[in-house]
Amino acid sequence: MAFDIGTPVNTALLLFILYSVQKIVFPSTSLPKEIPHEFRNGYSWLPKSHQPTVLFKTYTPKTLAPFDGKDNGRILLAINGTVFDVTAGRNFYGPNGMYGNFAGRDASRGMAKQSFDIEMLTPIDQTLDKLEDLQPDEIDNMKGWVEHFSNKYIICGKLVENDAI
Amino acid sequence: MAFSISNLLVTDDLTILLGLIAGTVFLLRTFYRPQPLVHPILLGRQSEVAKVRNPGESAVYRNYGTGLMNRFPLRPHKDVQVLSDLVRSELEAPRTLWNTKITNAALQDRVASFGTGLLRLANLQSQESNVLLLLNECIEFLIADLALSSHSIPSMTLATPNLLSPVLDTHPPSAIITHAEFLPTLLELIYDAGEEGRHHTIVVVGEPSSRVMASVASKVKVLLWTDVEREGVKVPKIMSPLPKPSDVFSVSFFADSDGHVQGTQITHTNLTAGVAAIHALFPVSALLSSLDTIVSTHALGSLYGRAVAYTAIFEGTSFATTESSKLFRADEGTVKQDVTDILSAQLHSIPSGTILFLKPAHLDSLVDAILREAKKSLVLNAFAWRHKITGISEGFVSKDTLWDRLVYDAARANIIGEGAGTVRTVIVGEGLLPANLLTPARVALSCPIINTLTHPAVVGPVFALHALDLQDFSTAEENSSKTFAPVGPPTVSIEVKLLGVDDSAVESGADPKGTLVVRGPPVTKLLSNEDVESASGYVNIRTGGSATSAGSDEEDSWTNLGYKMQVLTNGAFRVVQA
Repeated sequence: MAFDIGTPVNTALLLFILYSVQKIVFPSTSLPKEIPHEFRNGYSWLPKSHQPTVLFKTYTPKTLAPFDGKDNGRILLAINGTVFDVTAGRNFYGPNGMYGNFAGRDASRGMAKQSFDIEMLTPIDQTLDKLEDLQPDEIDNMKGWVEHFSNKYIICGKLVENDAI
Repeated sequence: MAFSISNLLVTDDLTILLGLIAGTVFLLRTFYRPQPLVHPILLGRQSEVAKVRNPGESAVYRNYGTGLMNRFPLRPHKDVQVLSDLVRSELEAPRTLWNTKITNAALQDRVASFGTGLLRLANLQSQESNVLLLLNECIEFLIADLALSSHSIPSMTLATPNLLSPVLDTHPPSAIITHAEFLPTLLELIYDAGEEGRHHTIVVVGEPSSRVMASVASKVKVLLWTDVEREGVKVPKIMSPLPKPSDVFSVSFFADSDGHVQGTQITHTNLTAGVAAIHALFPVSALLSSLDTIVSTHALGSLYGRAVAYTAIFEGTSFATTESSKLFRADEGTVKQDVTDILSAQLHSIPSGTILFLKPAHLDSLVDAILREAKKSLVLNAFAWRHKITGISEGFVSKDTLWDRLVYDAARANIIGEGAGTVRTVIVGEGLLPANLLTPARVALSCPIINTLTHPAVVGPVFALHALDLQDFSTAEENSSKTFAPVGPPTVSIEVKLLGVDDSAVESGADPKGTLVVRGPPVTKLLSNEDVESASGYVNIRTGGSATSAGSDEEDSWTNLGYKMQVLTNGAFRVVQA
């Protein structure tokens, strides 16, 4: 057989040129079937999901207790009625951390008295520690910790009595 | 037949030629792709989202440029504290405002003379009186506004003319400034309301006919603008103490979606923050400068229109408005919002417009006209349209391409006239733009089209697209004629959140949808129920109703704008239903 343009190589090159020129002169204007989720796949793209946000919830000592990080979950702790998400500080507040006692508990007294002993924590089924016997400077210390935690971690809830919900 | 490998790969001179052509074509296809005006990765995260949200609400969203921790920009420049600071005397070049070519220093002089003349002739007291401005778009509006604010006399403006009688009943002004053409209508209203027992002072711009002057009742004093200004020139200027930025300098009345009359107080900070927001609409590569000319279709009585006008003043650009923005006219007809209306701005002696602030109806008719004009050159238009659309889908648009020279420049020149080549940005506000209009608009005008969301209670835009954003989210299956175009992230000085959000849907990853509430320096304070009485008794919806934790919202004073919106995953917002 004799090819018009001489050889298979020439044919292939010619076809490639025709194809490319067609693409340049008649670009495709079809709309995509769905919106791409990567910017590499298209200019009009949308990320797959929204930025994660935490829902502000009301916790009781009983519902707060599971969040002690023991099963690689979130770690929460409460100071003065405000619940903080301290999952980012797993080294400190996780099960093996220095302050792991406070995970999932009301840490107000411990923060005020600057102590991490078990005695600072009130049992879960009792009413919340009213902190009445604390000195003013201990209260100030605790408020300072609230400030520190507010800047460093996320405020994600408030702590109320067991029977309040 | 048996082909050996060497037979197949035989090459000759033609191969080399074809090889070179193939190589060139390949390189052309790969590297000649137009670069997007803004990298798409930046458009993937347009708002900064708070980490925590209350139940039933969405998180708080801010512009990504502002961030969650920073304070909002309150003013376009640190020296601009009050309204009169917007007229910068260090800019010496003259610019044209409507038909008047004037420098900033001359403008300040006129403002001072008018203020002095008005105080003397109309017996106004600083902080005691208030003045109703029933002026259409003209330099006298700005002079009056600046003069009154420098003497701490609140001015009142209306967003629509039918609010005139309710406002005259509930907030009688110490003086009224209006046009000569509108004077008969105004006098009629005053007499009808049985108000002629009360003293009225009216300052008139222009020359009223002697017949009208004869019909003026004895208790009504009519002064001519030119007389007032001349009076102020002769005598030493009255200096009043400088107002504080938190002082109210104006009250704007508008009708909300239910038709009730709402009033809102504008402080100096509100307006400077609004000017800062409009200033931030423009990318750093294309900032506003004194070489620009702004054409606006928004009435000066509305807060958005006022913010646009003061941005023009601040930046030293020339400025004019169109026929449809005139609120107060002697005849009852309404002007259609279309191309002729846009062109009516050019009838003033301004240089041809570079920045257009349009309403969606204007944009619709303009784009329609240009595309129809372009279709007249059938074959070329088919190619031009394809190439433009491909460019836009890659994020690129420009006026200097081959297809513009062949097709679109001529089409634009036929429709807009000589000034077609100067339009460099179009900003759409005061209306909802349909999604399927955005890309054809970009093709027709070949310049950035910024879609914004405005509201009568907010100075400046609430949301605005990134200036170089050309994204279009229409897909092959969805019919985009029913949806509205996205309006982008909140502007630099506003934070927003949505109320009435379905928590379970959002927790599982759906887009939050709810009612919009906003907070920030450009958001003005609505007058409460006791201050604005209307015939039907209006209930002031200030924050998120009864469903959510209304307590904290009341203290933080979020303002409900009444739009129902949806947040896209990249932080842009879209109106779901007005």
